[in-house]
Amino acid sequence: MIASSHKAEEKVFEIGDLDKQVKELRSEYVDLRSQLMKLKMESKISEKMLARGLKSSEEPPKKIKVIEK
Amino acid sequence: MSVASKNILNRLYVVVLVFLVIAMFIVYKLFNIQYVHGDKYRELALQRTVKKDVIKANRGSIYADDGSLLATSVPKYDIRFDAVTVSKNNFTENITPLCDSLALILGKNASYYKSKLKKARRNKNRYTLIARNLGYSDYIKIKSFPIFNLGAYKGGIIVEQHTIREHPIAEIARRTIGWQGSGAGIEGAYGNEYLKGVNGERLKQKIAKGQYKPINDENEIEPKNGLDVVSTINVNIQDIAHHALLGQLEKFEAEHGTVVVMETKTGEVKAISNLKRNSKGQYSEQLNHAVGESHEPGSTFKLMVMVAALEDKVIDSSSVVDTENGVLTFYGKHVRDSRKGGYGKISAARAFEVSSNTGFVKIVQKGFENDPERFVNRLYNMGLNEKLGLSIKGEGRPMIPHPNDRIWSGISLPWMAYGYGVSLTPLQTLTFYNAIANNGEMVKPRFVKEIRDFKSSKPIKTFEKEILNPKICSDATIGKVKEMMKNVVVRGTATNIYSKDFSMAGKTGTCTTDYGDKKAKKQYIASFSGYFPADNPKYSCIVVIHKPKTSIGYYGNVVAAPVFKTIAKKIYTDTPLVDEVDVSFSESTTLDNEYEIYLEKSRKEYKTVPNVVGMSGMDAISFLENLGMKVYIKGNGKVKKQSLNVGEKITVAKEIVLELS
Repeated sequence: MIASSHKAEEKVFEIGDLDKQVKELRSEYVDLRSQLMKLKMESKISEKMLARGLKSSEEPPKKIKVIEK
Repeated sequence: MSVASKNILNRLYVVVLVFLVIAMFIVYKLFNIQYVHGDKYRELALQRTVKKDVIKANRGSIYADDGSLLATSVPKYDIRFDAVTVSKNNFTENITPLCDSLALILGKNASYYKSKLKKARRNKNRYTLIARNLGYSDYIKIKSFPIFNLGAYKGGIIVEQHTIREHPIAEIARRTIGWQGSGAGIEGAYGNEYLKGVNGERLKQKIAKGQYKPINDENEIEPKNGLDVVSTINVNIQDIAHHALLGQLEKFEAEHGTVVVMETKTGEVKAISNLKRNSKGQYSEQLNHAVGESHEPGSTFKLMVMVAALEDKVIDSSSVVDTENGVLTFYGKHVRDSRKGGYGKISAARAFEVSSNTGFVKIVQKGFENDPERFVNRLYNMGLNEKLGLSIKGEGRPMIPHPNDRIWSGISLPWMAYGYGVSLTPLQTLTFYNAIANNGEMVKPRFVKEIRDFKSSKPIKTFEKEILNPKICSDATIGKVKEMMKNVVVRGTATNIYSKDFSMAGKTGTCTTDYGDKKAKKQYIASFSGYFPADNPKYSCIVVIHKPKTSIGYYGNVVAAPVFKTIAKKIYTDTPLVDEVDVSFSESTTLDNEYEIYLEKSRKEYKTVPNVVGMSGMDAISFLENLGMKVYIKGNGKVKKQSLNVGEKITVAKEIVLELS
């Protein structure tokens, strides 16, 4: 009885720790994801690429689709 | 002896009695506590050790149409400092590097933190605020700084975590996404029903280390996490729209502006941006102008007028109207064309292209002067006097006066002809333009695509397109006005945005606003509404810019239309042109045979020069080069002659000349 009660309590501590980890990982995920989203926005990229002399094309890309029969 | 024993017995009785009394008192007390006050104490004990724990439901996130996060709940951290618990040595040694590091992350200078921390230590402050609402990565960095890296007891760092709602793409589309609890935007419209979720409850008993353990296996009330909302907003288009609008607002120092991009067929709002200048002179999302601001549309309303006139057959696109030197007078008030002297006698279509105010007033006066109700009813039938019934709160009320209204006057009809005395929100105007682009089917603008549960891949609820009016006017009329809108860009008021690469169609609008105050300087609303590509519309878009600085420019084509063009161009250059090439391979036996011969030859090992005469030049080169020879060719075709004889020994880099024919 006492032993299993202790076991259960141990589990609770473990769950508490894991919960904390989940929260931290979740915040890390959102934080990094929002950084990524900001970085990959076109306006940001074209701003950065301007320094390298690159700008977005005036022409749309051409896609050639080959149909085989 | 007997006397003595009796004495002892007597004493014993006394002692027993005393014990008995005490025992009975204890029994009484026990009984009293157990049964008389039992309930009270049991409750007290329960209160001390058992608590009802609320399990908070996670609020759902809002996503863009490609799954990018637009709003989500994230933990944020407040950092405080216990100045007392840190040892003296540690404090004096490490305070400088700590403050330098803090300054690097938090932006204020190091001496500020130094004096703050020193003061806290002097005052024995155990709860000094260092920073609020830090993101996870900053929090991790701060935790690793000197002093703080020693933890809570030796380093005195106190971390408090709380959850806030965050918009990962910051300012962009913020107003339409909305805020939790404010009722605004998507958060407000879908918050209670889907995003919020239901909090759970669970009984817990106190155990060591200040923790609680659950009493039962199951939660008393299971928490239900909020559902995710997938909006129709496209991050790329939104990004373009936001920056195009921002650039133009800054260029013209305008007060505020809005841009909405909508998918023609479905009514999905792909981008919506509302920017207003704040007290610091920067532009930010403050109000949802596109949804809420009902204002006089000006010349963009000429499309509605033209449709009404064509539908009632009071004119045709080729009918000639006399714009009469550009000035008309009604009850002492003037209608002027933007070009002095007017446009002379022009066709109705041309009047639309050049946006002739007098021309339009003439058309409407001629057709509806005697029966203005017919004109107004035509507009009403197209749904222009009704709200769209958007999911987002705060939609502005459109206003189109009726001849029976008290505000109706002699100038109501002519003024209405060029967009004054009526009022529409940008989104209502756009919905009408979109209906024209969509061949008469008026669809309701939508902000939300579906509701999802992050655990399942299938959406829980999908929002289908809603048709407000299956056909607002005849196909003949649509064909005519589409042609006119196309020509506005080709040869009308918006030639400045014409591009030979891609087509656009639309209508410019420039109207004065706040004209009630005669003394004040004239203020304008510049707008452009239309769709692209002109022939097979994919998106419709409206741009409205309020109060640009008139000395820089105020015409719709100059101020608003470039935003439209930037968006149209970007979408054009981002959409690949697909060329389909039909390649049918026919089986060629000669080709297969030649290949087999080549393959067989090339697999053998050679020590002497092989015979390549008759082989195709291409094959012969690769064949001989694989043997380590240097090959030169003359002509093209099949090998006619080889410079080295068959059977000669091969040495590395031996040269051979092939004559082809």
